[in-house]
Amino acid sequence: MGLLFCFLGALSFGLLGTALKAAERRNANASGLVVAAYAWPALVMLIRTLLLKPSGHVPGKVFLIAVIFGSCAAAASWAFQVSIRLGKVTVGWLMMNLSAGVPVVVSIWMYREQLTSLKVIAFVLALVSLFFLFWGQVIEKRALGNSTGKGD
Amino acid sequence: MWFLLMLVILLTNGMSAFGLKMIAGWALPESVKYPYLTVWYAGGLVVIALPMILKGLKVGRTEILWGGIAGALSIGGQMAMAVALGSGVPGHVVFPIAIGGSIFVVALAGRLVFGERMNAPTALGVALGFVAVILLGLS
Repeated sequence: MGLLFCFLGALSFGLLGTALKAAERRNANASGLVVAAYAWPALVMLIRTLLLKPSGHVPGKVFLIAVIFGSCAAAASWAFQVSIRLGKVTVGWLMMNLSAGVPVVVSIWMYREQLTSLKVIAFVLALVSLFFLFWGQVIEKRALGNSTGKGD
Repeated sequence: MWFLLMLVILLTNGMSAFGLKMIAGWALPESVKYPYLTVWYAGGLVVIALPMILKGLKVGRTEILWGGIAGALSIGGQMAMAVALGSGVPGHVVFPIAIGGSIFVVALAGRLVFGERMNAPTALGVALGFVAVILLGLS
């Protein structure tokens, strides 16, 4: 049963990426889409917070990092939405997921987490993957330039 | 422009969930995550909405509709993963399936629904990136 929910999670996230591309095809404004996508969960979380029994003081540093990391997430969502107008949705989505490597690096540095051989292999593969993705984009741009007669 | 956007995604998206790890490290009560997530979403909303307001742009029906669909699918995915983890499936199984599976679904939709074709380096990059993401999930 648990495994079924794993696959449902995969399907749900996959359809999320697909829906964002579909929105782009319908000329949805990237900023407006991010605002709408963030407004609903913000409202739900606000209601959930207000319904909570008061359990003591929330330190200011919690709100500070919430603003910083929430802004990071919104910037990433906006960049993804703009990028799928210029490039492929698969590459943009992969980049969103490859970005999981950044907090792993930060955790190794900040929390002295162990650098396992699995992580090293993942990082090397991620770097090689980025090289090929960027190379592929350069080739595509050149081909587009040639087909429109603009050249490089 | 595309390269800059990819760099922004790489640097910002991964770090966006790092706050929950910091909070866990501060040993605060579990209930702190709700006010945290409220401000997290509100902060993100303001960062994008402010330039829009200054430019006089408005959120139309298309954005509200598709933004709502995106929000529902995001919450649905999170809930499915939470149920899977809660039913005893270990994280090193849940995360690779959820993340790898979502990339597979998007790649399939990109090809079949949106007619996107990849050149050889891009296809190789996607394949290697897919393996890297799975390994990151396993680690």
